[in-house]
Amino acid sequence: MPETGYPWPIETTRLDNGLRVVVSEDRSAPVVAVNLWYDVGSRHEPNGQTGFAHLFEHLMFEGSVNVAKTEHMQLVQGSGGSLNATTNPDRTNYFETLPSEHLALALWLEADRMGGLVPALTQETLDNQREVVKNERRQRYENVPYGDAWLRLLPLLYPPGHPYHHATIGSMADLNAADLATFQAFHTTYYAPNNAVLTVVGDASPGEVFALAERYFGGLAPRPDIPAAPDGLVVPATGVPNRETVTADVPAPRVYLAHRTQPFGGSAYDTVTVLATLLGSGRGSRLYQRLADGARLAQPDSVSAFGVDLAYGPAPLIVTATARDGVPAEQLEAGLADVLTEVADGVTDAELDRAKALLTTAWWRQLASVDGRADILGRHTTQLGDPGRAGDRLPAWLAVTADQVTRLAAELLHPDDRVTLTYLPEKEVAA
Amino acid sequence: MSEQRDGSPVLVTERPATGTARPYVFPPVVRQTVAGGNVVAAHLPGHNLAVAVLLLEAGAGREPLGREGLSGVVAKALEEGTTRRDSTAYALALEGLGTGLAISADWDVFQVSVQVPVDRLPAAVELLAEAVRTPRLDPADVIRVRDDEVTALRMYWANPGPRADAALRADLFGADQRVGRPLDGDPESVAAVTLDDVTGFHADWLTRPGTLLVVGDLDRIDLDALATTAFAGTSAVAEPAGGILPVQAPGERRIILVDRPGSVQSTLRLGHVAPHRAHPDYVPMTLAATVLGGAFTSRLNHLIREVRGYTYGIRAEFGHSRRFGRFVVSSGVQTAVTAPALVDAVGEINRTRDGGVTESELAVARAWRAGQLSVELQAPRAIANALATLVVHDLPDDYHATLREQFLSAAEPEVSAAAAAHLHPQGLTLVVEGDAAVIRDELAATGLGEVVDATGVVTGPA
Repeated sequence: MPETGYPWPIETTRLDNGLRVVVSEDRSAPVVAVNLWYDVGSRHEPNGQTGFAHLFEHLMFEGSVNVAKTEHMQLVQGSGGSLNATTNPDRTNYFETLPSEHLALALWLEADRMGGLVPALTQETLDNQREVVKNERRQRYENVPYGDAWLRLLPLLYPPGHPYHHATIGSMADLNAADLATFQAFHTTYYAPNNAVLTVVGDASPGEVFALAERYFGGLAPRPDIPAAPDGLVVPATGVPNRETVTADVPAPRVYLAHRTQPFGGSAYDTVTVLATLLGSGRGSRLYQRLADGARLAQPDSVSAFGVDLAYGPAPLIVTATARDGVPAEQLEAGLADVLTEVADGVTDAELDRAKALLTTAWWRQLASVDGRADILGRHTTQLGDPGRAGDRLPAWLAVTADQVTRLAAELLHPDDRVTLTYLPEKEVAA
Repeated sequence: MSEQRDGSPVLVTERPATGTARPYVFPPVVRQTVAGGNVVAAHLPGHNLAVAVLLLEAGAGREPLGREGLSGVVAKALEEGTTRRDSTAYALALEGLGTGLAISADWDVFQVSVQVPVDRLPAAVELLAEAVRTPRLDPADVIRVRDDEVTALRMYWANPGPRADAALRADLFGADQRVGRPLDGDPESVAAVTLDDVTGFHADWLTRPGTLLVVGDLDRIDLDALATTAFAGTSAVAEPAGGILPVQAPGERRIILVDRPGSVQSTLRLGHVAPHRAHPDYVPMTLAATVLGGAFTSRLNHLIREVRGYTYGIRAEFGHSRRFGRFVVSSGVQTAVTAPALVDAVGEINRTRDGGVTESELAVARAWRAGQLSVELQAPRAIANALATLVVHDLPDDYHATLREQFLSAAEPEVSAAAAAHLHPQGLTLVVEGDAAVIRDELAATGLGEVVDATGVVTGPA
């Protein structure tokens, strides 16, 4: 077992305004990754403002006090850099990877939009990006078969008022109603240095990064009263299965079974990660062996199981499969349910070792690039309070026992507390 | 320099200067000939992971007409057990090492790869070779995976995009040519694949040695031993891939409509034929396409996303293989603005062909393309892809360093000339996959060209 899953140095500091700065030096390539995790996501959105955290992420690329509209992208790409940002229920992250001689530029750009976005935000920009986001919703969720599964699973898993009840992309109605003042207030409330973690990985020394961080971010004022998201850490078991059946323009029946588990970061969730891999990754997985290769209920490429790594509530474990020609949805659902039930009867050491080997490769793949490392460190600092916890992740997976897996399955995968989402084709598919 | 504004935070107003650049160095490349095959390796000291790729001259271009997708069926059949063990035992052995088989085929080559912690590489390459060289190819298994592939393709073809791309490809190259048919085939062509097709393709193309690509800490890897494993039992040598396909001048611009009733977006695929990968204009063409539609700040994305709000994104690129190439613009636009988006897109292609690029746009494109080489070439998998480029296109070890210099030194007149020579807005095939009943009349009214249905039937305004 490795001593650590993160064999690179980590240095941290905290500026007087509360900004946490994490540096992991690696001189093997002249490239540096800059990553900012803001502790704000769709879980902070009140009723009627769904989709605002994500729409706001778009606005962050549209100029700030010292950066003209479109200049942010132009300066990073014009320096040879890649950049993007993502929003999920938990957090919003912004990141760029660029040749290391442009490190100061990246930090200056990030500081300018952390501290100087509101004066540059215009109605025209909001209107334009609102349309872009609505097109993103059409492209990713509405115009593809099964594309809205995640949007449907969340309200089935989490009750109204829970911070994970609504999806990050938001509703068209709320997006249409978004006004400029709300977004100005959103930035003022959440985009403060004491609500963020700045991580820099690669061709830069801690001393250099700390000095640059102080120079560009040091003058920004902290916000003392950042409102917390609603508490969603515990969702009591309902004892009542929740199900939805959708008849839609899809090519074959598909079934999703979902359970609330435990928050990302604790040892129970490490067990969930191992369990999901054991169930759904690769041709040797239980789902593939039982449903694709064995009973031939599912299309081979369609079986999967995965945990969604959410940290502020019981994170979902989802298993899914799409029916082979002629297999009714009920039969596929029964097959999936059997596989979940049988985990509680025991798993073998060989199954466990296979899952751990796949997770080991996946972990080192994520850490093979400086940008992958920066995101992992930003996550562990933001959600677990310490970038060093990143080094615990792989050893924790490797330490999971068969007994822990079966006990967790018995506790959390009970059919009485299950969400079932089924898609049925509108018309009979020719066999 | 800092300045304090009343009530606002202290921000540094002055954009920082660029620091001193350290040169990017592509990892040292090692080439060997072992046991009748070639090994091309790159040394990444200190990395925990290693990648091995067996690259075979067995791309989709080798597939017979009417059997498009055959190589995909062969790929799936390789995982259905070997002469030594059945499919489950094989999967458990390989995944127990921490990897699956990643198999892909493009127009030129067929690649099978594994990625594992470096100490497991010999065992993983042994299993890779076992599947590629001695697959069981049991008739019942082959027919079953063929049928599964038909189903998988039917699922894929239910998404927006594949039908539009097929219509474009058929129009550019002719549906009676292999390259005029979809790379991965379609449900009908895969359904036509027979057991003999599969065993024949394997015998013809997967029993030649090929090239083994290895990326990792070579101090901990025995290349000779890996190559001996990978090339054991192979016989024939590679056959040449065939010559460059003639580029026919594009015909008259027209709109091909692919009906997707009820679609909330229209999928755009606009294109024409273009030169092959080894064409001497590769660098200036790439830069011209970057200015037009290759980066976020490019002309197309700026106008159609950032100004108009019609789309989540739009891009343009030249795609090249060894024997041919094409220029393609791809996007999804809201149904109601399909016609104006199309007019805008063609307008930007026209403007770029006629007026070339500006020095400031080119500066961004140059820096971005050159910088991306170092940003992207970090992980073993990415380096392996770069080695595959060297092998497929017969390029020297210092190619990536040279390419960077070529990008950085390309002058504006050269790039504008490439735009003028290789963009043909008047000969574009404009494929639109969307709700035909809603958009047909508006498309006809744009005057961009005759509107025909994907079946080839000419239709006027309803």
